[in-house]
Amino acid sequence: MSRTSSTATPTWHNFERKLEEVKPSKTDINYLVMDYLVTNGYPAAAKKFAAEANIQLTTDLQAIQERVDIRTAIHSGDIQVAVEKINELSPQILDEDQSLHFALLRLQLVELIRVCMDTPGSDITSALDFATSQLAPRAPTNPTFLADLERTLALLIFPSDKLDPALASLLDPALRKEIAARVNEAILQNQGARREARLRNLVKLRAFAEQKARDTKKDIPDTLDIGLVGDSHNTSNSNDLATNVNDIVMSNSDNDQMIS
Amino acid sequence: MSDVPFPPSGGARAPTSYPSISSIPRRSSYASVVSGNALTPSSSNLASDSLPFSTFDRVHRAPFGVDADMQMNSAWRPESLPPHSRKYAGLLQSDVSHPGLLDPPFLSPSYLRNSRYLSRLETAHRAKLTRESNPPLSASPSNAHLPRIAPSHRGMTYDIIEKELPATDVLSPLPSQWSSADKFTGLELSNDSLDVRYTGPVHKHDHEAAALRADHPMPPQCGIYYFEVKIESKPKEGMIGIGFSSTKASVERLPGWEQESWAYHGDDGKSFFGESQGQGRAYGPTFTVGDTVGCGVNFSTGSAFFTKNGIFLGMSRALENGSQLTRTGNAFHELRNVKLYPSVGMKKLPPVHLKANFGQKPFIFDIDSMVRQERSAIQSEINATPTTNLQPPLDESALLQELVAQFLAHDGYVETARAFAEEVASETLALQNGRNEPLKKYEVEEDLEAINRNSKRPISNGFNVSNSPEIRSAILDGDIDKALKHTKAYYGNVLEENPQIHFKLRCRKFLEMMRHSNEISTHTPSARSHEHAVFDHEMELDNETDGSFNQLLTEAVQYGQQLRADYPNDENGGDKKLLDDIFSLVAYPDPKRSVHGHYLETKGRAAVAEELNSAILVSLGKSSAAALERLYQQTEVLVNEISEDGGAGAFINVRNDVLL
Repeated sequence: MSRTSSTATPTWHNFERKLEEVKPSKTDINYLVMDYLVTNGYPAAAKKFAAEANIQLTTDLQAIQERVDIRTAIHSGDIQVAVEKINELSPQILDEDQSLHFALLRLQLVELIRVCMDTPGSDITSALDFATSQLAPRAPTNPTFLADLERTLALLIFPSDKLDPALASLLDPALRKEIAARVNEAILQNQGARREARLRNLVKLRAFAEQKARDTKKDIPDTLDIGLVGDSHNTSNSNDLATNVNDIVMSNSDNDQMIS
Repeated sequence: MSDVPFPPSGGARAPTSYPSISSIPRRSSYASVVSGNALTPSSSNLASDSLPFSTFDRVHRAPFGVDADMQMNSAWRPESLPPHSRKYAGLLQSDVSHPGLLDPPFLSPSYLRNSRYLSRLETAHRAKLTRESNPPLSASPSNAHLPRIAPSHRGMTYDIIEKELPATDVLSPLPSQWSSADKFTGLELSNDSLDVRYTGPVHKHDHEAAALRADHPMPPQCGIYYFEVKIESKPKEGMIGIGFSSTKASVERLPGWEQESWAYHGDDGKSFFGESQGQGRAYGPTFTVGDTVGCGVNFSTGSAFFTKNGIFLGMSRALENGSQLTRTGNAFHELRNVKLYPSVGMKKLPPVHLKANFGQKPFIFDIDSMVRQERSAIQSEINATPTTNLQPPLDESALLQELVAQFLAHDGYVETARAFAEEVASETLALQNGRNEPLKKYEVEEDLEAINRNSKRPISNGFNVSNSPEIRSAILDGDIDKALKHTKAYYGNVLEENPQIHFKLRCRKFLEMMRHSNEISTHTPSARSHEHAVFDHEMELDNETDGSFNQLLTEAVQYGQQLRADYPNDENGGDKKLLDDIFSLVAYPDPKRSVHGHYLETKGRAAVAEELNSAILVSLGKSSAAALERLYQQTEVLVNEISEDGGAGAFINVRNDVLL
């Protein structure tokens, strides 16, 4: 495999050789993928993968779907629906995690305020009522709750086009995503499963190990491409292979018709 | 080997004219295994019991799954386990089916279990045993032991190759006993060289002493190394030092009194660190007869500690600030290349008797907890590491989605890839709901694009890559003809360029033909029993199936002869050894149970299928490893890099930590 001259150093070759020596088994990799599909809630893909990779699906697809429904509700801003669904699964989940419960209620307040902001001249009473009845009683129990509540209510004070970044971030879908992920983890934990997908652990470990290796000046290449955006990984050798592919295509087009 | 447990099925009755794996206890009859029942996922017990590979696989997974595995296996475990098997049952699960492997027992201190170092050591140990005891193919039929375990060994060899970690240099083994060479000559060893005694003449001179070191240095790759010494007896005025030293330190002096020598002394409770004879620093209490003193080194922080009767005495300040250290700076960083051996020394006042524990027995001090704490501290550090610069601009959740999407497309799981793309799309859609601006980070189009790029790119050229998964599934179904036909049609030059894969495919075809004929012959209502099979094979074949069985066998033999003619030697991708092995199956009345029976297992299909799939992907200009696999490889290598000197990597075992 040809590389650009800057990367084809002895260090790079040495590292590539060591990589070649590691042969993760297909079973392990498939397991990682299946675990991700189940944990992060992709039931249709999990079902197909079980069939295609011949893995036994040990988790009930319905259980995954319940988590997906809750995730969808939170992503769509239907926090009330999400909270009801969570409590249907197990009231313990929110009872035992006050911080998560407060985060959901706060998100619900954000969504109510969002509605007010999107429709000019609308009544902010419902948002204020919600803040007073649901969040205010809980806020004093924890200093961060109070700070979060105050920050959220500040959304009502400033004009929506002149929000400072910290406030604007409350309206970013990233907040919904974050809360949805936390809820997913809490449900999994409540059901006695791992909170996070193993794949996530692997990715974090990969980042950590590179960081440590660089900190301690280990002899590793300056850049380590994970080869995801195939282009950067294959650019250097795609030219010679591109013609190759065309050759195959050409030489096989007859066969193709013949077979089909 | 006299205590090898015989399985319930009775090894004594087993035919002796050919080697057999029948001694591996099975829950089901042979017939049901070959009939294919055992291959359905629903009867995983049968499947795993019948595969020689599986046991070793469980060993790898054992550390966290011991209980489950024990339960799973207990149903068919022979009752008459030899004592050593029971003792180590929790450590090495393979002992039941590979009784011979525990001789000698593999040293596995509790605090290192699941560690990267020990996994690597164990892998190397097993590979060595496999090499040593792999029986010659012409093993005498009358020797029941060797052939019996042979198939399992083969399976393990395969697995070891698959799982082997980068072996950049040979790992130093753990200290396991006192060295009989590196010691003061007057010291006597006993009890597997764990006990040391001084019963020689009395020497009153202060500076004279008798010391010795362990057989191997403490490996930094452990991260934390620990051992204990119990003082069984010593005279009232006797002096004892417990610690570690390099081979530079004389064995005629107490450890701690020499250069490159560190120890905790019992008479005054001081710690001594090189050169400073009599100038130790106050460290802990004194110790005497009946006390157990532990010595530990944390290579990641470069500090040492001692324990007394299970009580932690503190990280040695002397080690951090002691005379030698202030002079040389960071002791262990300076001493990275110095090999440090566990060491004890005593004044020459008889009788002294010290008993060491290098992990053969549980330690008095709860070293396991200390290692666990270290591991969890590093685990929190890992969890706090940002992952955003792995593949900018992807954030973590987008990165995970891309990795999975790319893997599914790359490895040809087309249906799954589509389903996943759709689910990601609807997830993204929900998130956008109620907003007008598009999401700034992860777009589902990218995901679809990844799938297009990887599985359908050439469609625009009138060429359909999704033949690749079709070929794979043909092989997995055992339809090698179809796979060969499609490969030739769509990827003609792949077989030409990879003659060894072509050869393996053809061998697989031969094996499938053998499987087929074998199934016919064992499906007969009055299936031949083993005893008859040996003697009456030729005469007593059932009439009904005789015809088809013979015909299938003949076809297989003919195909095999063709293979032999096409690959007379190891040229053109051939492998004479493999050919000889699989062709010998013809000679057995019951090939599946023969010494080469493992070739017939359907598990072999997957290996060929993946090899061909990779070759096709390479021919299409794609990297043969998906990004996910590459990421795994990089992780393993990087962790290895940061474990060699006892750094954080020593407390990480990628496969255990991530997969179990």
